[in-house]
Amino acid sequence: MTDHKNHAEHAEAHLREKHLMLDPLPRGRMNEMVMESMRHITWKFWVVFGILAAISAYGLFYSWGVMIAEGLGVAGVNRPVYWGIFLVNTVFWIGISHAGTFISAILRVFKAEFRRPFTRAAELMTTFGLVQAGFSIFMHMGRVWLSYWLMPYPNQRLLWPNLHSPLSWDLLAITTYILGSTMYLFLPLIPDMAMARDRSTGWRKTLYKILALGFRGTEGEWTHLRNAMNIFAFAIIPVMFSVHTIVSWDFAAATRPGWSSTIFGPYFVIGALHSGMGAVITVLAIIRGTMKHMKYFIRPEHFDAIGKLMLIISMTWAYFFFNDYMVQWYGGDKWTKQLLHFHEAGPMGWMWFAMLVCNVVIPWAILWNPKWRSTPWLVSTVGIIINVGMWFERYIIVPISLTINRMPFTWRMYQPGIEIPLGIGTLAFFALLYMAASKLIPLIPVWEVQEGQMAHELKKFGRETVVTVSELE
Amino acid sequence: MAESKIVDILAVFPDLEPAADAIEHLRSLGVHDECMNVISGIPVTEAMLGRPSQWTNVPRIAMGGAILGFGAGVFLAFISPYVYPYPVQVSSQAFVPGPPTFVVLFELTMLGMLLSTFLGVFLDSLFPNYRPMKYVPEVSDGKIAILVECSHVEENKITDALKKLGAESVKPAEAQHL
Repeated sequence: MTDHKNHAEHAEAHLREKHLMLDPLPRGRMNEMVMESMRHITWKFWVVFGILAAISAYGLFYSWGVMIAEGLGVAGVNRPVYWGIFLVNTVFWIGISHAGTFISAILRVFKAEFRRPFTRAAELMTTFGLVQAGFSIFMHMGRVWLSYWLMPYPNQRLLWPNLHSPLSWDLLAITTYILGSTMYLFLPLIPDMAMARDRSTGWRKTLYKILALGFRGTEGEWTHLRNAMNIFAFAIIPVMFSVHTIVSWDFAAATRPGWSSTIFGPYFVIGALHSGMGAVITVLAIIRGTMKHMKYFIRPEHFDAIGKLMLIISMTWAYFFFNDYMVQWYGGDKWTKQLLHFHEAGPMGWMWFAMLVCNVVIPWAILWNPKWRSTPWLVSTVGIIINVGMWFERYIIVPISLTINRMPFTWRMYQPGIEIPLGIGTLAFFALLYMAASKLIPLIPVWEVQEGQMAHELKKFGRETVVTVSELE
Repeated sequence: MAESKIVDILAVFPDLEPAADAIEHLRSLGVHDECMNVISGIPVTEAMLGRPSQWTNVPRIAMGGAILGFGAGVFLAFISPYVYPYPVQVSSQAFVPGPPTFVVLFELTMLGMLLSTFLGVFLDSLFPNYRPMKYVPEVSDGKIAILVECSHVEENKITDALKKLGAESVKPAEAQHL
């Protein structure tokens, strides 16, 4: 009898240690932990921040200035590869941005409780990823100061954008997505801003007071907020799907070998989720390892849950990749066959194989094991590898596929120029924005965590203690 | 004259249960639901507190925005091609073709809906509001505050009742800068 009791107590203690939702702290303490995580800034933070700022200044702003002054000739794009790393990076960053919506909206709709502590970290990635995607597409334009020509407005030139073009749809879809995801980031932030306002002094108090908008937490305010968040959660999902589908149509709507594929839409969407989830898990491991108190909020259970999703997404990506490959190969078109052979056996064939290793072999080899996928450094390394693989995938789709066309006399390998510092600059600027945000806004949606903890409890069924969740909404 | 003076009382409860009990008791003392407001650090549903459902215009505003967005899409997709002097004819597609039109309509409808949903929160909650307001910061630490509006003559009776029902503090509510 005593043995049973001891065993039950041990099991209960283990469950509480394992699950954040079963391990509540006093709410005041939890709020203070989140505030401390923002206020605690070490010299290491400033060193990394300084390095990233220098890389951003050189890689992004100076190099872009050079390109604006000298013209697109300093980039490597030329016949037949007119779309180079700028477009690769655009697709890559839009892909990264999909993780925020996936985690925050889809998991919210399906009431996946493990999402609670890291929805904001993922949503921030969406917004900052889209900023880099915007930079990359403007770089690709070359004459960026004329970018307003994309907008449909009455003008002296009597010209109007071609709304039949996927590039015009891109403008509409990406604008909708960046505005929608930024608003979706901000709405759940309001109560946390109010919490931060109540616990701050000086400039932080002023900042949080402005951003909290006067929120007190009255019944009416919560009702309006909850309704809006529900609408956003449902509405932003099709927008997310539309964005990367439309990005895929930039390619698939052209009758080019390797691009003209009816499956490109879902293939791009799943690719976006693949890289996005990989990026989320990487960011979570960094946050957990470097920010104060984050080990309480972000636990191995979260890495395990995201690891499972990554495994499923990796399998789905492999399915879509094979499907796309199979149909193109089976079609027997001379130029498509030539291109597929060029992918695998051309001078960049190593990239094609590396893509498969990074996107399929390594994730499958590691993520099947619950212990391995719960290990933050290991699973986040897989996340980085997936992102390398997904970047390779976009590189293969864009410049490598453009190398081979129906006019062999134009074939030429793409040699990137200023695209390289610009690409590194966007990566550094993304990290820089994220670091700044981590010290200015609560990365943990603390009220959502507290709400989740209120809904969870342990219940005994016979001799077994299990986790139960009440539906509070 | 003195009897008609209205005062606000702010009672802070440690948890949900005593707050729900207090609301029920206040009702039995003749305080109407419209004269009470609950302030909390996490969303507490009306059902948990035994309160009437809150009215919100957010879904209606969202729907209005979606209709406006759809209208903008109709203009862009169906009307604008005819109003500029250089018609864009793409391959063998119709001048206003179906599938691209659907994309434009979808994106603008969603954009209208998302923008208006966001705006709806601001309109319904009267955000931003930086005027002094009746508030206790302890709510974000898990306390539940009940703001009661009553006549001056009932103040003592209600204050006593709230204290007996487990309120940690009961005091006249004063508007303050947050």
